[in-house]
Amino acid sequence: MAKDAKPRVKVPKSAAAGEVVTIKALISHQMESGQRKDKDGKIIPRSIINRFTCDLNGVNVIDVALDPAISTNPYFEFDAKVDAAGEFKFTWYDDDGSVYEDAKPIEIA
Amino acid sequence: MQRKITTIMAATALGLALSGAAFAEAVEDTLTIVTDDGDVTLTTKAAAPAHLEGALPEIYSGWHFRDDATRAMQKDDFDNPGMVFVDLGTDKWNAPIGKNGESCAGCHNGPESMAGLRAVTPRVDEKTGKLMIMEDYINGCVTERMGLEAWGTTSGDMKNMLALISMQSRGQPQNVAIDGPAAEFYAKGKEIFYTRYGQLEMACANCHEDNYGNFIRADHLSQGQISGFPVYRLKDAGLVSAQQRFVGCVRDTRAETFKAGSDEFKALELYVASRGNGLSIEGVGVRH
Amino acid sequence: MTRQLWLATVLACAAVTPALSETAPSAVAYAEGAVAASLSGAPGDAASGAKIMTTNALGNCVACHAIGAMPEVPFQGNIAPPLDGVADRYDEAQLRGIVANAKMTFDGTFMPAFYKTEGFIRPGAAYTGKAPEGDLSPILNAQQIEDVVAYLLTLKE
Repeated sequence: MAKDAKPRVKVPKSAAAGEVVTIKALISHQMESGQRKDKDGKIIPRSIINRFTCDLNGVNVIDVALDPAISTNPYFEFDAKVDAAGEFKFTWYDDDGSVYEDAKPIEIA
Repeated sequence: MQRKITTIMAATALGLALSGAAFAEAVEDTLTIVTDDGDVTLTTKAAAPAHLEGALPEIYSGWHFRDDATRAMQKDDFDNPGMVFVDLGTDKWNAPIGKNGESCAGCHNGPESMAGLRAVTPRVDEKTGKLMIMEDYINGCVTERMGLEAWGTTSGDMKNMLALISMQSRGQPQNVAIDGPAAEFYAKGKEIFYTRYGQLEMACANCHEDNYGNFIRADHLSQGQISGFPVYRLKDAGLVSAQQRFVGCVRDTRAETFKAGSDEFKALELYVASRGNGLSIEGVGVRH
Repeated sequence: MTRQLWLATVLACAAVTPALSETAPSAVAYAEGAVAASLSGAPGDAASGAKIMTTNALGNCVACHAIGAMPEVPFQGNIAPPLDGVADRYDEAQLRGIVANAKMTFDGTFMPAFYKTEGFIRPGAAYTGKAPEGDLSPILNAQQIEDVVAYLLTLKE
């Protein structure tokens, strides 16, 4: 597991049925590109989050492939249509095989 | 025609230079932050404290000297990248990291028990007479109560904990004591603030008192206030503490710096904090 | 001694000691802030001066001074007076003195002394934050000062 990888997500507590809401998701991660060299001239191995997904009640909302040019602490903001109450599930996949997860409930107001 | 334009440009630039620390250069804006507990409005501009004796007409948080995009990041806790480090600080606060499984929470309960501390530090410890910065308090617990090696003054664990504790005082006015036992440290810090160090012979005051609002190359000079510290610095993609920032500034005068956590920089932190007495503690600011 | 060896010896000496006509930072004679003679003993090169003035690690004059004649240089500062027309306001000796050590002309000025090696408080090894090893070098050497002066002399209005 990458040092200090820590997800944060922001989801409204409730939405009207059929409403489009804005979701924000961030994870602290060094996103080492694999193209930098250390003091001795050796390549620092690549270590990035390579995939991020968000599902609502088991249905995929967004599925993102990340490449080495993505910055430190990658931050996604996107919209999702909410038809029924349930749970947003967020998943980040690390090069080292680690998987980081977070979840947030949403109600229909 | 070309020459005329050049002349006009020069005249404009000269006008700016002559007007000196034009406070029109601090951006007019209000720092209202969207938080999980509703909106919070901070005091980022205030009357200068009396002890400055007119050295600054008004005091401004460094937030006023950053560009629109950077200021906006601090207006929403989610957009503020520094909050990730507050979360990491919370994890550490609750973790049984001590030699015998002690945690911060074990003695202090929730981090909200630290409310107010950031606003009055640095301060002189009544028992020992020593000037204490927040890092000293944290390391006191880490070494004496938890039986661990002291954390590095500018280490990740230390800065995450600074961020968490600073957040508990967000919105409170900075209010460090400068009289009584603090007076000697205040005097020492003030002397450092006005001393022209290094081969460039620059004092803190040259940039942050005489020239705030002006540009030194691409840098928009602030008043050097630390009410927003620790800050998330975009340039470093991480937290920067006041002690760390002092090292960077003095280094840039081509000087041999004092160390982070040294007696000199602790005194300087007290003095610089006192120049901002009346500004809100920002928790974790965002700067570039 | 062969002629070739003789020449090599002369060259070796030249490499370790500055030219005889160069004035060391501590030996510069200021007359009301002005310095009459070339510090290097040689004329300056204005093109090189322009480069020194806009390079961060060298003079970086544009950090504080705007220069309208260099519109291609971004982020010119406004800490100090613009340099346009500076050659109309000061003569060569005055400009040399100001670049070498402006404090001899303007008492207490913010402007760093670019040709000075003594009298500092906690000087460091360039921008490392560490103590220097051995003697300090001036921020700019004698020829670089002359090159900057040569460029400044082109700034007439």
